[in-house]
Amino acid sequence: MSDQSHAPTDHDLAPGEEEQHSVGTRILGYVVGLALALLLTATSFFIAGTDLVWQPSIPVALIVLAIAQMGVHLVFFLHITTGPDNTNNVLALAFGLLVVFLVVGGTVWIMAHLNANMPPMDQIMRMQ
Amino acid sequence: MLGKLDWSAIPFDQPIPLIAGAVVLVAILAVLTWVVVKGHLPYLWSEWITSVDHKRIGVMYILLASVMLLRGGSDAIMMRIQQAVAYQSQGYLPPEHYNQIFSAHGTIMIFFVAMPFVIGLMNLIVPLQLGVRDVAFPTLNSVGFWLTATGALLVNLSLVVGEFARTGWLAFPPLSELSYSPGVGVDYYAWSLQISGVGTLVAGINLVTTVLKLRTKGMNYLRMPMFCWTTLASNLLIVAAFPILTATLAMLLLDRYLGFHFFTNEAGGNVMMFMNLIWAWGHPEVYILVLPAFGIFSEVVSTFSGKALFGYRSMVLATMAICVISFMVWLHHFFTMGAGPDVNAIFGIASMIIAIPTGVKIYNWLFTMYGGRIRFATPMLWSVGFMVTFIVGGLTGVLLAVPPADFMLHNSMFLVAHFHNVIIGGVLFGAFAGFEYWFPKAFGFRLDERWGKLAFWFTFLGFFITFVPLYIAGMLGMTRRMQHYDVAAWRPWMIVAAIGMAVLTIGVICQIVQIVVSIRNREALRDRTGDPWDGRSLEWATSSPPPVFNFAFNPDVRGEDAYWDMKARAQQQSLERDRPEYQDIEMPRNSPTGFVCAFFATIMGFALIWHIWWMVILGGLGAWATFVVFAWRDHDEYVIPAEEVAAIDRVNLEERRDLVSMAGTV
Repeated sequence: MSDQSHAPTDHDLAPGEEEQHSVGTRILGYVVGLALALLLTATSFFIAGTDLVWQPSIPVALIVLAIAQMGVHLVFFLHITTGPDNTNNVLALAFGLLVVFLVVGGTVWIMAHLNANMPPMDQIMRMQ
Repeated sequence: MLGKLDWSAIPFDQPIPLIAGAVVLVAILAVLTWVVVKGHLPYLWSEWITSVDHKRIGVMYILLASVMLLRGGSDAIMMRIQQAVAYQSQGYLPPEHYNQIFSAHGTIMIFFVAMPFVIGLMNLIVPLQLGVRDVAFPTLNSVGFWLTATGALLVNLSLVVGEFARTGWLAFPPLSELSYSPGVGVDYYAWSLQISGVGTLVAGINLVTTVLKLRTKGMNYLRMPMFCWTTLASNLLIVAAFPILTATLAMLLLDRYLGFHFFTNEAGGNVMMFMNLIWAWGHPEVYILVLPAFGIFSEVVSTFSGKALFGYRSMVLATMAICVISFMVWLHHFFTMGAGPDVNAIFGIASMIIAIPTGVKIYNWLFTMYGGRIRFATPMLWSVGFMVTFIVGGLTGVLLAVPPADFMLHNSMFLVAHFHNVIIGGVLFGAFAGFEYWFPKAFGFRLDERWGKLAFWFTFLGFFITFVPLYIAGMLGMTRRMQHYDVAAWRPWMIVAAIGMAVLTIGVICQIVQIVVSIRNREALRDRTGDPWDGRSLEWATSSPPPVFNFAFNPDVRGEDAYWDMKARAQQQSLERDRPEYQDIEMPRNSPTGFVCAFFATIMGFALIWHIWWMVILGGLGAWATFVVFAWRDHDEYVIPAEEVAAIDRVNLEERRDLVSMAGTV
């Protein structure tokens, strides 16, 4: 199968295959990623229990921190970049996000309308 | 020791499944004995069962689908006879048996006929069309196939050991929950689909990677044959949608095995959530099946009209549009659930919108044929038959997308007729077109045209005689899944439908005869050039059947319709003169990983169904150990020496020379 990837300079490398970085740089990348991930995790735990901020803002803060955590993972561990060699990965991520948004968002919407329009299950059972 | 399994699992009091099971068992034993006595076993093991060659795996997928088509078809015949006779009587099938039959029919036809058929064709053809030597993950491919076969085996095992689900093909709770289905039927259903679902997901990942990463030199995205595009779209949908099915069934299994309450009536479970989730998979699934069929029709129509595909770019756009919109319409399967007019209206409109890209495709095919020099060979007949049939099915679909109309027709025979209209007219006709079209590529000889045309006409007419009465019965108020009925007005239509089923059966028999006749006359039907239909894409640029390495040299693609282009410029000859030196080719080694993995998965699935916990652990450990052994292998490739490549390639070039000189003049 080796002769199917034509030239090593092709913009056709899988993530992790790129060899241009030295080991040191790559380790540094992972360490920074780990530090950021730990920081974000610690902040989440701290925020959840604190009374330093306005209470209703806590869920929002947690959501923001969670999304930031995903970003850190994508950039430092899954090596998503904006480079031309990463078009497939970025498109796959976009498609995945779209599908998750459609299915989760659609489900929440459908079930909310259903609950508004239909009596709860135990009420139906009592009616019978 | 054996969990819930004892002698009462064998239905000794029911002659139909026992006799059917015995016949199948005798047939399997006869084939096995023949294989062993004739000494074919080593060949079968080393060349097919352990093969990681995408072409062989594709052929095995299609073989599995064909065998299961006969099983699912037998169920259909039994149902049509039952409804023809069960007017004010019980018919010949008791209700619990009838319920198992319609559940098994749906499950088998979707998961073990339509899915393996299209995945088989994609496996067989896509690497050839892309001009590459194999798929991205050859051994994973074999694992995927064998896990699908495991699922099929478990479903068929339920015929004689235990029972199958009586819940319909999607096992809606609360009927499928433990309180209403205490038997093993639903467990057979769920575990078969979980195991074969892993196989399908693996195949999806493999084919997406193949299309994205392994294309020959010059094969840009916008030079790919349409079948590769629809394969990409369909497999993206597999990767996105099948995890939803797996998660939903896992929740149902947790309810059944560990007393959870996801979908139960009591303790806060929500039955509606199952409908919602299963259809969030179920609607993309429809397009997973039909998109590859659209790709096949594109190839066939273009080849047999002798023209490039009309509106190639609009076709690509339509394919990708369907790929995305298919995730926005799932509620139209349960308009009647009560989500209210806002939700129903939005999903109704989305369902009508998705008909637009499909309409674009239909017009593209028609314009491809317009002004072309059309040859009505068997694959083309299936394609034209598809266009007629699918338009009817599509229009009844648009009708059902109108929520008020759907409230009248929901779960009626009209619905049954509609989805058979699109699945038979779309997917099955597509699978048959692809089968007839690519059979010479896979085996090196054509199929008999006379029997092929007979098969088409019987199937085509049989289809309408069977399903038009079902539309009418639906309009008259007949609901689906009825074991017996008392309405006199439905009776004549049920009888006509049964007659249609007989005509359809003749079509299937013609198809079997066609294969037998063709194998007998294979010398006369031999395809020596590798290009029997005057094809346009790269699969026709190699011999039939292709050598294990597909292409001696990776083809250099300079435009759409790569092979047509080469022929037109008689490039083959010039290429031959300045062909570079033949080089050694490395190919992946065959591996029993897939078969052994599936063997243990079968043991595990069976044990899970019957609650035999020690056997579950045994099967799980076995499958895991197989994976470890594979991961630690030392030699995963072997080398085909350059001389051997040269020898094989020269034979094909000799045969092809006449053809090429002719093609230059066309």
